[in-house]
Amino acid sequence: MKPIKVAFLLLLGCVTAGLAQNATEIIRKSDELMRANSSISELSMKIIKPEWTREMRMKVWALEPDFTLVLITAPARDKGTVTLKRKQEVWNYLPSVRRTIKIPPSMMLQGWMGSDFTNDDLVRQSSIVVDYEHKLAGMEKLDGYDCYKIEMIPKPEAGVVWGKVLIWVTRKGFMQLKAEYYDEDAVLVKTMRGSDIRKLGGRTFPTRWAMIPNDKPGQRTVLIYHDIRFNPKIKSSFFSLQNMKRLRP
Amino acid sequence: MLFLLAWRNVWRNVKRSTIIIVSIALGLAGGLFAGAVMMGMGESMINSAIDRNLGHLQIHSPAYRRDALVSNYIRSPQKVLSLLDTLGSVKAYSARTLLEGMASSANSSYGVTITGVDPERERETTALVSMLVAGNFLADKYRTQAVIGKKLAERLGLKLKSKIILTFQDRSGEIVYMAARIVGLFKTESTAFDEMTVFVRQKDVTRLLGARKPLIHEIAIRLKNSSTLPATKARLASGFSDLKVEEWREIAPELAFMSTSVESFTYLFVAIIIFALIFGITNTMLMAVMERIHELGILMAVGMKRGRVFIMILMETLLLSFVGGMLGMLIGGAAIAWFNHFGIDLSAFAQGLEGFGSGTTLYPYLPGVMYAALTVMIVVAANISALMPAWKAVRLKPAQAVRVY
Amino acid sequence: MLVKLAWKNVWRNKKRTLIVAASVMFAVVLAILMRSAQLGSYAYMIDSATHLQTGYLQVQHRDYRENRSLEKSYVPPVGLKDTLTQMTGVSAVAPRLETFALVSHDSVTRAVGIQGIDPAAEDAMTRLSKWLVKGSFLEKGDSSLIMGAGLAKKLNVTVGDSVVLYGMGYHGQTAAAILNVRGLLELPLPQLNNSAVLMSLSRVQYIYMAPGRVTALVMMLDHPDEMARIKTELARHVPAPLTVIDWQEMMPELKQYIQIDNASGLIMLAILYMVIAFGVFGTVMMMTAEREREFGILNALGMKKTRLMAVSAVESVMVSFIGALAGLALGIPLALYYVEHPIRLSGDLAAAYETLGIEPVMSFSARPDMFGAQALVVFVIAVFCALYPLFFIRRMRASTAIRH
Repeated sequence: MKPIKVAFLLLLGCVTAGLAQNATEIIRKSDELMRANSSISELSMKIIKPEWTREMRMKVWALEPDFTLVLITAPARDKGTVTLKRKQEVWNYLPSVRRTIKIPPSMMLQGWMGSDFTNDDLVRQSSIVVDYEHKLAGMEKLDGYDCYKIEMIPKPEAGVVWGKVLIWVTRKGFMQLKAEYYDEDAVLVKTMRGSDIRKLGGRTFPTRWAMIPNDKPGQRTVLIYHDIRFNPKIKSSFFSLQNMKRLRP
Repeated sequence: MLFLLAWRNVWRNVKRSTIIIVSIALGLAGGLFAGAVMMGMGESMINSAIDRNLGHLQIHSPAYRRDALVSNYIRSPQKVLSLLDTLGSVKAYSARTLLEGMASSANSSYGVTITGVDPERERETTALVSMLVAGNFLADKYRTQAVIGKKLAERLGLKLKSKIILTFQDRSGEIVYMAARIVGLFKTESTAFDEMTVFVRQKDVTRLLGARKPLIHEIAIRLKNSSTLPATKARLASGFSDLKVEEWREIAPELAFMSTSVESFTYLFVAIIIFALIFGITNTMLMAVMERIHELGILMAVGMKRGRVFIMILMETLLLSFVGGMLGMLIGGAAIAWFNHFGIDLSAFAQGLEGFGSGTTLYPYLPGVMYAALTVMIVVAANISALMPAWKAVRLKPAQAVRVY
Repeated sequence: MLVKLAWKNVWRNKKRTLIVAASVMFAVVLAILMRSAQLGSYAYMIDSATHLQTGYLQVQHRDYRENRSLEKSYVPPVGLKDTLTQMTGVSAVAPRLETFALVSHDSVTRAVGIQGIDPAAEDAMTRLSKWLVKGSFLEKGDSSLIMGAGLAKKLNVTVGDSVVLYGMGYHGQTAAAILNVRGLLELPLPQLNNSAVLMSLSRVQYIYMAPGRVTALVMMLDHPDEMARIKTELARHVPAPLTVIDWQEMMPELKQYIQIDNASGLIMLAILYMVIAFGVFGTVMMMTAEREREFGILNALGMKKTRLMAVSAVESVMVSFIGALAGLALGIPLALYYVEHPIRLSGDLAAAYETLGIEPVMSFSARPDMFGAQALVVFVIAVFCALYPLFFIRRMRASTAIRH
């Protein structure tokens, strides 16, 4: 499943001493801090809507760039569901029927059903560095941290739906604390907030991410990182159909 | 001799003759026009869909018809296109790249069929360009452009000049993102079409698919005249047995159903009108003969043989109906020609019909053979209808006939 | 007095009266037949389409049309279904739960549309079971599914195989199940044939964790003409956030097509009237010419022209009226006969109808207002034609007339 990509986008790598950088450099560093060749993480996703709430807990294995495996560990109904992404193929294992089902390519384009994270947020790698022009728009204090406020305008050819994105990156640690997504008419569509900054797996970063749509009151999606290991040794053979069925949550 | 007599008789009573001629003429003109209206109606219905996107014929690879995958493109399209260039029945064709994908905006996304076309060819093949409500058809200055339906724009919360993100898969399954500017909005009779179809320049998608030449999934063909369809289809099918050549009926069976039902009603209604015509003519002729009983009585009294009187009446009728028929064809033909050019705006007749362009204007037309057929029918009918009263007239005893006033 | 005279005149020359009346009569019959066939065809088209797909009316959540997700399903309020079924004019009510899913067999997966139905009610309405080509139809509470034959081919399954179903249930919960394929339907529309999966309503509700929920209550009516009345009445029983919509809102293209067809139908009718008008006019002209001598003598004998005109006018009205009545007397039974025994089509036309599962017949309509309207129009035409004798009389010179 796609949420893991968000985790990668947000993971901090080595913290570099905060010399004043130009905007693109800042963005690149904040993006790089999220990257690793491989990772194993445990997270929860909570989808909050006015009529209902759904919470899921999952364990994610990733081997850049082609392999991802997500195992759902809670709630009981979905426990044991596995999603495997191998290059361009996506498979789901459904424990209730003990069957594997191949997801047709067309579904890949739709993004994760139900949550406020769209395909744009989840599947695209390094888009914030490559697909935008960056401009430093000042310094602001957010949650007690000094932050660079950076205005990102998508390049004309970039496949990005936004007209503009404002992003707040801490000076110390290059952590993304907030992002505001605007459409082409400069109307705010949604906001991303990072909080609960902790040290996990050797890196310090916001472990709680909330995606809040602007026009849907009472609705939000929250991603929480409970644990993460960077660059563990994972073999590509781990990411197999047989393994999907063998995994025990 | 009889003929001369007949001729003189005709012109002797100008009023009577005129009435008969005018009845026949207007009746025939009415019948012709009615037939033309129905045929125009049938054509317009089919033409809406053919004009919008379908074309008369479509060619795909058989694999594509089973599975609309990007990899099921036509392998050697140039051969087909070259042949189409030589066929006289073909008005235009458009070789399209079809990609199933998503259209996204900041607010939402929607499943669409991305259609990569050569704007010039597409313009000649379909009438979509005339259904634009804003902007132009891929003729703008932006590097990457898209033309979408107004309904889709509404769903995505976009308008002209907005950025739209199109996503689809290339041949290796990689997801391709395409940022395009909306340069045109269209509105057709089909909301479904408006919601699901996005036009882009073929060269833009070819570039993004990483192909050297355009991948052609569909060749849509517009003929000059739908009557050449079976022959053209056969020619193409035999020339390219590895491809699937289909006509619009096979691709859109609901359309075929509608057009055949229109056809069947055409016959019924024209038949009814012809019936009405025949009755009218019969009555008029009946009256005409009845009016002349006195005169015919005198003719017979002074020695004209019954048989000859009968033939004389017949000749008169023939003459009158011939003149009436010619006049009718002229009037009918002129009316059809005019409305064919200007069209009949149906929204004047029905409340609530939105201005959808080709959907609500009717262009009557009638194939030449129908003119001849209908005219002959009328002339024959007029004569048959004169037979009975003529027969009755000559059966009369001259003495009685003379006494009728 | 005038009237008596007119009446006597009318019956004096039976043949002449008969001819004029006959022309009016045939005109009425033809106008009735044409309009009846037109209206009949529209009613038939609507009937076929509603039977096959949408029904005449549906009760839905008001947001469902714009947002077709399970989130916009609803639990029908207690007693609603019964109220609807018992309402006069409603012939059937069938519940449906429609959603989407991925269906997979071996390594082939397809996105499909799932329809949860009450098999008996649905079949009575749509006659779906007639498309069955293999296997058997659904039963109440069935745990199997049936699908379009085109879809089966794509998935490479046949009756007896199992498929995996995977979708998003109510409130985002995962919906997953293994289901047996119990039958295949060869559906007339390719889009449906390649993507339709039908299951029993209760099973879909169970798998999708949507107990008691439906996306629509579909209703068929005894008499389509009553739709507007029934819709308003229904609206009173249907609480917010539910709403009642009709086939016109669900199939706007069909509505538009019928409007266009009706418009051109009216043009045809106008042409018919024109042809009729000239037929009647010609007859009347001839009749007048034939009576020229009679008019001349009457005038010479002292009858004022105005009286002559009045008598002639009343005569015309009477004759036209007789003709119109005769036309109704013949036309109504004829139309009613065709309503009961529609004309069977044959050949290509019939084949085209049959491919869509519609009986190949030409249907007629027997709406009372239609009969009256046609008779009235023809009557008016005839009366207008009767104006001619009046002009004729007025311009007549008795002396010349007598000598005719």
